[in-house]
Amino acid sequence: MNRFWDTILNVPVPDPDDARRRRVLNIILLGTVGAILIGLAGIIIGSLTSGQLNVPETRLLLAGTITAAFGTLGIYWVNRRFSGRWAALLYLLLLTITFLFTDSPEQLSNGRSLFLFTIPIAISSLILLPEASFLFALLGSGIISGLALSIQQPVNIFAVIGFFILALASWLSARSLESALQELRVINANLDQVVHQRTKALAESLARERIEAGRNQAILNSIADGVIVFDRHWNAILANPAIRSLLDLPIEVIVNRNFRELIEHPKLSAHSRGLLYAMIEHDTQPLSFRIEWGGKTLSVSAAQVYDFREEGNVNLGTVTVFRDFTREAEVERLKSSFVAIVSHELRTPLNAILGYAEMFREAVYGPMNEKQVNMANRIITNARRLLGLINDLLDQAQMEAGKLTIHMGPVRPSELLEHIHSLLDKTAADKNLRLTSEMDDSLPDIIIGDGPRLEQILVNLVTNAIKFTDQGEIRIRLFHLPEFRKWGIEVTDTGRGIPHSELPHIFETFRQVEGGATRTQGGFGLGLAIVKQLVNLMNGEIKVASEPGQGSVFTITLPLVTP
Amino acid sequence: MSELALIIEDDLDLADIFAEALRSVGFTVEHATDGKKAQERLLNGEAPYLILLDMHLPHISGGQLLTDILKKDSRFDKTIIIITTADARMGEAYGDLVDFVMIKPISFVQLRDLTARLKPPQ
Repeated sequence: MNRFWDTILNVPVPDPDDARRRRVLNIILLGTVGAILIGLAGIIIGSLTSGQLNVPETRLLLAGTITAAFGTLGIYWVNRRFSGRWAALLYLLLLTITFLFTDSPEQLSNGRSLFLFTIPIAISSLILLPEASFLFALLGSGIISGLALSIQQPVNIFAVIGFFILALASWLSARSLESALQELRVINANLDQVVHQRTKALAESLARERIEAGRNQAILNSIADGVIVFDRHWNAILANPAIRSLLDLPIEVIVNRNFRELIEHPKLSAHSRGLLYAMIEHDTQPLSFRIEWGGKTLSVSAAQVYDFREEGNVNLGTVTVFRDFTREAEVERLKSSFVAIVSHELRTPLNAILGYAEMFREAVYGPMNEKQVNMANRIITNARRLLGLINDLLDQAQMEAGKLTIHMGPVRPSELLEHIHSLLDKTAADKNLRLTSEMDDSLPDIIIGDGPRLEQILVNLVTNAIKFTDQGEIRIRLFHLPEFRKWGIEVTDTGRGIPHSELPHIFETFRQVEGGATRTQGGFGLGLAIVKQLVNLMNGEIKVASEPGQGSVFTITLPLVTP
Repeated sequence: MSELALIIEDDLDLADIFAEALRSVGFTVEHATDGKKAQERLLNGEAPYLILLDMHLPHISGGQLLTDILKKDSRFDKTIIIITTADARMGEAYGDLVDFVMIKPISFVQLRDLTARLKPPQ
């Protein structure tokens, strides 16, 4: 309905003042037409009821009224099609002329109808121009003056003054209305500008955000690792497509569920289930471990997400990354089985060589001369050395693969010493060295440790000491530090010692102390590296002190655990 | 009549060396080259005085022979059982079930001296 009236009343022109005036003029024109039509209806009904339709006055009135209606519509047409100014001028003139015929010259010039001429004065400032009110004041004044003179009456000076005062008032009000509207338009324009700028900025930032979010989503979608993001209650809030193929589950089964539901999935091995429960129940450390899912091995890394802006670093949840580790796990399994096979396959023939050489030396098949026994001894020594090297290499390989583990059990320190003596007394004696051992009385009879590994540490240290000592003794001491709840192993020799420059490096893999003499000692330089790694695995520490020409002291300190 | 020693060992050279060590201290030696043959021998023949059992055997492992037959059949209650293994950890694990654990490489002299002490006094 509003649109209908808008179409009827509005004139689409660029100048807002012109448009406003033409709209007002249209309203007045249509109002006038309406009034004329009502008047026409009144005349017709009135003359019908009184039977005066055919009277010449009535006919004239009807003709005049209809002409006025068409004239008004014509002005409306001019207003719409051509010019608001001309239409307004025409209308005002028509109005003024019409007023001329509405009453007697006496009444118009000096009586009750004087006021009629104020109407064009007031309207003209609205629909034509603010200044036009003066024009119509002048016109009105001219008309009443002319009429007054034509009937020999004095000119009504007060009416003329009144017309001009009204014109002044109309002009002022119209002008202030126009300037107010002008200001309003400027304000509107500024407002429009601001709104436009804000809208543009908002659109840009939204676009940026979309690009950013899209980029993050693209990254998440395209990485090969499966990603699940959990809130702090371990509800999965986000997962990428890779996790779906990795777990071979529809994404709905993963997202918007609690992780505990996924952990109960039958594809997960019992051991893996335990690991995952441990992860969600002790969620303080960044973790990385492997799980078995169906036929796959997956490595799982979890990282807590904190909001550092908040007080006390609020935990927002956890990002878990699942990586397909099946191939790597298979390679590792093959590698460790390879290591096991190599270990067995290398040692068995060496064992046979050692055995046969011993049979020679022991003259099992008849007497041997001194040279033959000597040769057998050399075979034995070299085979033992080779065996030691293989053992070291295998240990090193296992440590690198993270396969070397510590198995705790009850250990008798005294038995440890006995074993070392039974293994190495002869080796020391062969070099005319004394191998002695002592033990702090306070050391418990039984401690918890890894017996074979402790023995390996001692064998490595003592063998090394024997190797680099030409005269004197090797002393083993097992000590007790009750105040620290620690115990330890100390191996002291009177050998050639280690140059100070080499001390920081002696626990490095494949390291031998530089210098001609040491090269002749053979070995890969793995012995001390293995010792250090074993000590680390036992949560202990190893230190060395040495003075060239005086000897060396290796000290290992271990946590003391008793049964 | 000398005591019977049964060597269960798949490596023929090692078995030869072990046999020589045992013979040199006066044992009569029998040899089974894999787990299956050892199983047949243990179920059917005379209970040996001493068994030298390798833990890594084809077909039936040493551990299985040990737990399935030697520890279940009362005929072997008096038999001295020595296990041989390259794996110290495994040796430890079975240590309580047997009389001796020898970790490979096994020295001829070591085995000869040990078994000499295990022979019954004449």
